[in-house]
Amino acid sequence: MEHARHVFRVALVLGAVVAAVMVTRGFLVPKSYGMYGPYRYDNVVEQMNVRLPLHRGAAACGECHDDQAKKRAAGGHKNVSCEICHGPLGLHVKDDGSVEAPPVDRSYLLCARCHRKIDGRPARFPQVVLEQHVSGPLEGHACLGCHDPHSPKP
Amino acid sequence: MTPEISGFSFPNDVHVWWSLMIVMYPYITGFVAGAFIVTSLYHLFGRTEFKPVARLAMATSFAFLLVASLPLQLHLGHPERGINVMITPHFTSAMAGFGILYSGYLAILVLEVWFVWRHEIILRARRTRGVKRAFYATLALGTYDTGPRALEVDHRAITLLAGIGLPGACMLHGYVGFIFGAIKANPWWSTPLMPVIFLMSAAVSGIALLMVLYQVVSKLRARAPDQPCVSALARWLWFFLILTITLELLEIIVMAYERSESWLIISELLTTRLQFSYVTMQMIVGGLIPLILLAVVVLMNRYLHERVRNTLSTVAAFLCLLQVFSMRWNIVVGGQLMSKSLRGLRSHYDPEVFGREGILMAITLFAAPFVILWVFDRVLGIEEPEAAAAAAPPARGEATEEGSIHAA
Amino acid sequence: MAPTSTTSLPVLQPEPATPTPPEYGRRQFLADVMRLSGGALVFIAGGTVADALAAVAGKPRGEAYSWDEHLYAYLIDTSKCIGCGSCVRACAAENKVPDGFYRTWIERYVIGMEQTHVDSPNGGKDGFGPVQVGFTATKSFFVPKMCNHCRATPCVQVCPVGASYRTKDGVVMVDTERCIGCAYCVQACPFGSRFISPVTHTAEKCTWCYHRVTKGLKPACVEVCPTGTRQFGDLKREDDPVRLAIARDRVEVLQGHLLTEPQCYYLHLDKEVR
Repeated sequence: MEHARHVFRVALVLGAVVAAVMVTRGFLVPKSYGMYGPYRYDNVVEQMNVRLPLHRGAAACGECHDDQAKKRAAGGHKNVSCEICHGPLGLHVKDDGSVEAPPVDRSYLLCARCHRKIDGRPARFPQVVLEQHVSGPLEGHACLGCHDPHSPKP
Repeated sequence: MTPEISGFSFPNDVHVWWSLMIVMYPYITGFVAGAFIVTSLYHLFGRTEFKPVARLAMATSFAFLLVASLPLQLHLGHPERGINVMITPHFTSAMAGFGILYSGYLAILVLEVWFVWRHEIILRARRTRGVKRAFYATLALGTYDTGPRALEVDHRAITLLAGIGLPGACMLHGYVGFIFGAIKANPWWSTPLMPVIFLMSAAVSGIALLMVLYQVVSKLRARAPDQPCVSALARWLWFFLILTITLELLEIIVMAYERSESWLIISELLTTRLQFSYVTMQMIVGGLIPLILLAVVVLMNRYLHERVRNTLSTVAAFLCLLQVFSMRWNIVVGGQLMSKSLRGLRSHYDPEVFGREGILMAITLFAAPFVILWVFDRVLGIEEPEAAAAAAPPARGEATEEGSIHAA
Repeated sequence: MAPTSTTSLPVLQPEPATPTPPEYGRRQFLADVMRLSGGALVFIAGGTVADALAAVAGKPRGEAYSWDEHLYAYLIDTSKCIGCGSCVRACAAENKVPDGFYRTWIERYVIGMEQTHVDSPNGGKDGFGPVQVGFTATKSFFVPKMCNHCRATPCVQVCPVGASYRTKDGVVMVDTERCIGCAYCVQACPFGSRFISPVTHTAEKCTWCYHRVTKGLKPACVEVCPTGTRQFGDLKREDDPVRLAIARDRVEVLQGHLLTEPQCYYLHLDKEVR
């Protein structure tokens, strides 16, 4: 063993390194890690609060815009959420209560996104070949000339 | 040239996330494992024909190991959090094994280098003065026993460490193959053969590198490379190359025969996007040609002039280095050119030139271990002192005669 | 500023059997906003998790959202989808999804007897235009896709640092504080749901709008879908329509042979859909 002294020395150095690593690691593992599984549980709550919900649903719009809401509920667009065309409520009514006019695309492109006849849409869904559907040129506010988006006739 | 998508790829599936750095990582750990296999052939299995390269191989394995974690760090979205793999490793992930395998193998290799070079460290500690002496004395951990009993203890320690180190090196590289092989989402990667293919080609790359290095180092020291060692290296290189090519071809053949859902897109990938890197480089230039060259070197060994043996072996080894790089590229990048929709292919992947995942960085990472080797030689000396003294340039005829007697 | 309401909020009542939108006033909305901010503030100020949850719920501690009471699932009826892309736009707005990346997307399939054409221009975000295929198409349909929040998910399995995980209520998420951006999960997802955000350099994907569903709202994509293609449900509720559909109708999942146990169930899928 006298001649193996250097082996013990190196084993000691190695042991010290491993111990230092283990101790340091102990300080660095997050507290909620492992509570319910191999992840940081605090993140679950962080995700629940990651941001305020931006979309609020059509009924929320109805509180201020009662007329449009009633008209819409009685027409063909009753299942089309206001937020599809007018954007999320959270961008319109801010946290502090201030109101900013939402952008709305009045061109035919917005309507075309749903109602242009293309492959893939179920046959019973109302869709038209736009160029044949309008009497004039297909441009600008072509659809609004005949249709009210809040109650677009059958 | 902006990449194009042919067919249909999932909208998020059009990016190559695992870049050139992830091609370099298995390339580098392949050298670590392969060089360690060569040094173990001497230190563990006692094959004396490898004695001339045993220490060079160990130093090479060590030099590449020091660089091995860098490509991963450079690739991460958050390199500063890379240490999380050691703090909260999630062991269902093969990648989490990296922390343990890397540090474990690093410890083993550091220890083995220390035991092998302990004698030189003590000699240099005695020979030098001042700062250098303090440095060597610290490395020697304050013990100066170089008697035969102590060296015997060293020898046993080296054998033990080589015995643990060899499976350690194999696991350090094999787990990389597992990382790819266990991804059922990617049919080009998902095969049980993957860890084995990676390991076999790691052996090819390590032996090939040692072959080239040995020739270069011999030239630099103006000394003829030991011919039995060269032919032994060539023999083992040939053996591992045959295994590697067989396994790689087997994977394709079985896929083509089974003709499962993914075969159509994979065959298109191999014959169009990867035609140069797979068919030309990996299989022909890197596979078929070295197979033939090495067959000549091995089967016609006794008839070969020394110069011919050296040249053929070195050329074959160099081509094998290209083969292994192509193989890594074809797997890592090739697998990402294909979408999981099995309907879309990306036209190509051009790595950036500058930037932390770029071509220049890859070249630097490949060159760095050689710089480390040079420093290693200056600090510790790779060749054994007795070997250097004994092998002072002998007469030309004497060397050839000796070489051919051993080779017979 | 409206005072914090003391009446219990419709937001936290269990979902009614028929999908009618809850009564919701502007006052209520603003009160909600204040409370949610309050909850976040409590948490940031160092309050415990339970305190923060209680503040959010507006209820005394002990009655906050409990993930043991829910197990979410998603139902998609591809025969109803019109490919308008409203869901993709809503998701992008709600979750600030970076351009060129998609937490949800829509694929169009145009299928003939021998050939199939699939496309997803910008993920379907701007809707779809007419398409010319070089063969006679006999059927065509849209397929909305997103993270399937699989029960046996490979993405959580391969995360090396435990940044990716599945909650008790069945939602798979990524802890952006721990994610190292290695992209292993992106490679492991068979559905292409994940990506590395160019903003945070961490993995990102659909979370079923966890910040909404834990307050009794629906994910944004479900909220805006005009045709009822997308439905979100709770398997722990006996009368939940999604649960009933999964139990009684013929449903499919994507890449079922991989056994990841996806929790997005599809009606009227086709063999051509992967």
